Amino acid sequence: QVVLAASIVSKSGKVLVSRQFVDMSRIRIEGLLAAFPKLVGTGKQHTYIETENVRYVYQPMEALYLLLVTNKQSNILEDLTTLRLLSKLVPEYSYSLEEEDICQHAFELIFAFDEVISLGHKENVTIAQVKQYCEMESHEEKLHKLVMQSKINETKDVMKRKASEIDKSKIEKNRGDKGGFGPLQSMGSGKIENSFSDLSISSSGTGFGSGSGFGLSSDVDSFSTKSKGRPTSSATAPPKGLGMKLGKSQRTNQFLESLKAEGEVILEDVQPKLGVSQAAALPPSDPITLTVEEKLNVTLKQDGGISNFDVQGTLSLQILDKEDGHIQVQVQTGENQAILFKTHPNMNKELFANENILGLKDLNRPFPTGQAGGSEGVGLLRWRMQSNDESMVPLTINCWPSSSGNETYVSIEYEASSMFDLRNVVISVPLPALREAPSVRQIDGEWRYDSRNSFLEWSILLIDNSNRSGSMEFVVPQAESSAFFPISVRFTATDTFSDLKVTNIIPLKGGNPPKHSQRTQLITENYQVV
Amino acid sequence: MEKSCTLVVHFDKGTPALANEIKEALEGNDVAAKIDALKKAIMLLLNGETIPQLFITIIRYVLPSEDHTVQKLLLLYLEIIDKTDSRGKVLPEMILICQNLRNNLQHPNEYIRGVTLRFLCRLNESEIIEPLIPSILSNLEHRHPFVRRNAVLAVMSVFKLPQGEQLLDSAPEIVDKFLSTEQDPSSKRNAFLMLFSCAQDRAINYLFSNIDRIIDWGEQLQMVVLELIRKVCRSNKGEKGKYIKIIIALLNAPSTAVIYECASTLVSLSSAPTAIRAAASTYCQLLLSQSDNNVKLIVLDRLNELKSSNRDIMVEMVMDVLRALSTPNLDIRRKTLDIALELITPRNIDEVVMMLKKEVVKTQSGEHEKNGEYRQMLVQAIHTCAIKFPEVASTVVHLLMDFLGDSNVASAMDVVVFVREIIETNPKLRISIITRLLDTFYQIRAARVCSCALWIIGEYCLSLSEVESGIATIKQCLDGTYATQSAALETAMSPPTLVQGSLSSIGNLRSLILSGDFFLGAVVACTLTKLVLRLEEVQTSKAEVNKATTQALLIIVSMLQLGQSSILPHPIDNDSYDRIVLCIRLLCNTGDEIRKIWLQSCRQSFVKMLADKQRRETEEIKAKAQISNAQPDDLIDFYHLKSRKGMSQLELEDEVQDDLKRATGEFTKDADDANKLNRILQLTGFSDPVYAEAYVTVHHYDIVLDVTVINRTKETLQNLCLELATMGDLKLVERPQNYTLAPESSKQIKANIKVSSTETGVIFGNIVYETSSNVLERTVIVLNDIHIDIMDYISPASCADVAFRTMWAEFEWENKVAVNTVLQDERDFLNHIIKSTNMKCLTPPSALEGDCGFLAANLYAKSVFGEDALVNVSIEKQADGKLSGYIRIRSKTQGIALSLGDKITLKQKGTA
Repeated sequence: QVVLAASIVSKSGKVLVSRQFVDMSRIRIEGLLAAFPKLVGTGKQHTYIETENVRYVYQPMEALYLLLVTNKQSNILEDLTTLRLLSKLVPEYSYSLEEEDICQHAFELIFAFDEVISLGHKENVTIAQVKQYCEMESHEEKLHKLVMQSKINETKDVMKRKASEIDKSKIEKNRGDKGGFGPLQSMGSGKIENSFSDLSISSSGTGFGSGSGFGLSSDVDSFSTKSKGRPTSSATAPPKGLGMKLGKSQRTNQFLESLKAEGEVILEDVQPKLGVSQAAALPPSDPITLTVEEKLNVTLKQDGGISNFDVQGTLSLQILDKEDGHIQVQVQTGENQAILFKTHPNMNKELFANENILGLKDLNRPFPTGQAGGSEGVGLLRWRMQSNDESMVPLTINCWPSSSGNETYVSIEYEASSMFDLRNVVISVPLPALREAPSVRQIDGEWRYDSRNSFLEWSILLIDNSNRSGSMEFVVPQAESSAFFPISVRFTATDTFSDLKVTNIIPLKGGNPPKHSQRTQLITENYQVV
Repeated sequence: MEKSCTLVVHFDKGTPALANEIKEALEGNDVAAKIDALKKAIMLLLNGETIPQLFITIIRYVLPSEDHTVQKLLLLYLEIIDKTDSRGKVLPEMILICQNLRNNLQHPNEYIRGVTLRFLCRLNESEIIEPLIPSILSNLEHRHPFVRRNAVLAVMSVFKLPQGEQLLDSAPEIVDKFLSTEQDPSSKRNAFLMLFSCAQDRAINYLFSNIDRIIDWGEQLQMVVLELIRKVCRSNKGEKGKYIKIIIALLNAPSTAVIYECASTLVSLSSAPTAIRAAASTYCQLLLSQSDNNVKLIVLDRLNELKSSNRDIMVEMVMDVLRALSTPNLDIRRKTLDIALELITPRNIDEVVMMLKKEVVKTQSGEHEKNGEYRQMLVQAIHTCAIKFPEVASTVVHLLMDFLGDSNVASAMDVVVFVREIIETNPKLRISIITRLLDTFYQIRAARVCSCALWIIGEYCLSLSEVESGIATIKQCLDGTYATQSAALETAMSPPTLVQGSLSSIGNLRSLILSGDFFLGAVVACTLTKLVLRLEEVQTSKAEVNKATTQALLIIVSMLQLGQSSILPHPIDNDSYDRIVLCIRLLCNTGDEIRKIWLQSCRQSFVKMLADKQRRETEEIKAKAQISNAQPDDLIDFYHLKSRKGMSQLELEDEVQDDLKRATGEFTKDADDANKLNRILQLTGFSDPVYAEAYVTVHHYDIVLDVTVINRTKETLQNLCLELATMGDLKLVERPQNYTLAPESSKQIKANIKVSSTETGVIFGNIVYETSSNVLERTVIVLNDIHIDIMDYISPASCADVAFRTMWAEFEWENKVAVNTVLQDERDFLNHIIKSTNMKCLTPPSALEGDCGFLAANLYAKSVFGEDALVNVSIEKQADGKLSGYIRIRSKTQGIALSLGDKITLKQKGTA
């Protein structure tokens, strides 16, 4: 039971793509495929042909045939399942079932065929799986890259420390040696630069060669100028040993935190574009994790005003160890009056109303532990806020398409309220079907064109006080202004509307309060401009 | 062994990419351009260009790329490039890719690892694989099943290499361990597959230690288990019992594919009735439960095989098989009926016929468009039943006679032919059939059916009352045909739509004749004549006889008059006229001699025809039996010595292994060596500086030219190249290569040519070379043309007369060849044509007997590409003893008609 080949031929007999799964000569496969269209009769209600030596199982697809060549002993039931799967895959990789399109995507089709049949044997896969396999998006690779990056940053850090040490010693030396200051500084910095590049090479022994892109002197140069303005104490940041026992991500986070503390804008380097959700997915390592999450559902009108503004928040608790289950949680809420809190039915309502403490009604029962409640943990508290107040909206988008001649100019600007610092902002503007990427005239941030789904993504890594508003402009061939809506927006923030904070964990069985960590995030669920 | 080809991509020759453009793009930094260039490079490679200069570019600029698509395409590129030199040694530069492969195998991206492992499965060079083995093995423990699954396959492929056991001697052990802990079904399957093909004992061990869980295993794994069982039982028959239990267990598996596989495994393992019965009933279940037509048809094929090997068991299943008739698909119904008809026995015939009758009745009620055709099939099936078991005829003949008036002419025709045969073979049924026929005669609408029915009436109305009512029925149906001028005018004015469309019962026969069917008119006249002649024998009253005679004469004469009147577009044809006139003469002047001819000889020749048909059938069966007889050097299986429960080992092994080999084209029948020598063609002259001869091997879809080239000079010939070009539907597969030929040395050059349809093709070409003394000038030697013979592609085949006629009417290409031969005998000429065209004569030999100076025969053949070739030979012997006439060839494509015509023109002369 072996599939010899999976092929697509046109009705006229042209072989467009064929992938063989067993050894066979070119002339043989071409011969088999050339004979096929002649053997296909019309008006038959079955779709297989047997010749003296092989069996073809096929499926007409518009002007094409998708066919499997098998031996005659092959299991027809299995082959038909395979064929059906392939026939669903073909349109996934070729936009239309025209010869040209198939030829254009021949290699993608071959890759997909490979996922379905290995060495002639059918694999048990679904379309979604095949697509996933072909996309090759690997979580592990991302982690790997993250780790690499953190290593690079670490080295930079070491470098920086060394730099300031040298700097310091130089200055001290200079002080000691000479009274003059001005001319020497420039000289000194030149020297530092040299020593930096030396350093970068010497510290790169850990595995990423100097060619991997960071040890360039220009990079180091900017580093060194920045480090000059910093108090020397920061240079002696907590030492980072090479032991990586806590898990890489943890370490990376720590590392980021410490860099941030030093006032370095490192977001661009480290945080992956899809980072936040991924970070959240990491398993908690503290015994108790409390997650405050608010989801935003906002629909803004194209010409101003809001048609929907809705915030839904949850406080969830995740306890790793059963022994830590007997606790109560003391929280503190912000001053926002518009928010209505609702506790879980099992919670003691009065305790919360009077003292802002979340505890179970039944004091003898512990909170559920482990991963039982999914990675989200158990929900303790829910709240909701609705508003018509436009000033509450964290980010407003203004989109102005205007036609002139054969082209449409689209300018978009955003304005962020000062309430939040927004991260990983992505504004996706749908575009009419285009032959080539739109030409972007001006942009604050970065852009990316997704030709498959036909939209333009404008991404700004961080919106803070330095860039509360921004704009971009691009040009496309003439199009209706409605074609650019609905614009959808994604972002995250670490502040919330409710400003809910966990202030304390009260252990019911006495003893020290167990260690806990807190995560707070605001995410967009559905944020659109229509 | 020829190089294997792993992928084919259509290559548009219109816009060939240039190697240096590709190179530039590959060197650049634009990933999209790189991908594009790499694709182009692969296409060029597939198209026969070698572009060796790209290799280093790719190593330098593409290998380090981090893009996933680039890496995948790179693997494809590596898959198709030549990794060895002409002597089969691995090229030294290939070592450069090893490092990259190793990195890929340790890549953080699990998919990169997976596809790289998959690539290794297609790699045959152990030199490249060897350094990668530790990395492959470490991937067996990867977290992601995608990687593990492919890693196992890679291990299997490595182990299967010729040096595999040295490279990876612990592979079975490792995989065994892997299998015991693996959870992913696909990885498990692959691991089991590996053990199965590399270390069968371990696979068996695993199977038996997990035997109770087998039903929960994944479908894929169960399939391999069945394959294993088949293989093991072939070599180790003693343990068959154990395995059969497993198969029985798997018959309950949820997957139908597994169930199907179980059944075929059962059949291959055992010929014990229980096993066959289980398999057969499984097939029957699948036949009913699967809605897919393909499945049904293939399952029917399996049942058909079972039928020929184990008929006695299949006989029990006939009713189950017949249930497949519930599907509307005609192909399935036909196949089902074919199988069932060969399974009828005296014991089940009643049940079968009952079922068929029910189906016939169903076709009356349903509004399905194919009902007519289906009914025809059923009628034929019942007909066959009735011939085999005459006693059932009485139960079905009346039911079938309802369909004499069927709008489907073919089906009505079958019914009437059936009735004609039954009435002769079952004398007991004569009276009831005749009564019924006379009752339903008015319903008959088709002229052919009508004439046949009339013949029955004329022949089998024996008693006085029958004869009288026979005459009355005909008269009634013709009522109003007294061709007085007015009647003729009246009907002439009514449009002929009446003839086709009207279902009005009375006067059907009349409208047919009025539409100008004088052949039918002649039949009517003959029938009436016969009936009157018979009436003379049974009617005592002379007056009555005279009355009937005059009535008949009136009708006959009226028809003649109609034929000669001007109101019909065509006057009566001469044949019918003669016939009718003969009838008139007879009725006016009867005699004993004439009476004997008309009343007895007709019937006798019909009986003779039936007997002849029967004889032919038995002969065919005999001939079939003859074919299955053993060849002198065949292995003889003594039934009594053979273990009862299975086929012999040899039988089985051949069956399974050949199947795949045949499919991949590895297996070709060894041609007769002497035959090979006959096909040697001299391509150049003996005095040419290069002598070349070729022998041509014609496979199904390809032609291989084995050309021997001999340098006859004392100089070294450089860049010698065999350039071939083709005409017709032939295509060269590879580009020619250059050779250097030492003085007086020879070289074998192979050229593959693809054939895509049946027609005579011509291959012509040159040999081009440079001599060392004169490098700049190329010398060209033109070769003799090689003609590829159409005869290699067509083989005799047979088809039903009806199918032949339909095709004859349908096909667009006709080639008409005038007969021009020295042969004097018609049959000799026919045989000569048959022999020289390799076709089969469809006209039965009995129809060709006798010397009348005329001969017409139909020949038929099919090409390997499934094309039909039809030939009709019509010849007449001239007074001077020469043959004249035409041979017409018809086919769907021009190629066949032309080439076959050429062939016939060439050969028909037939000199001794």
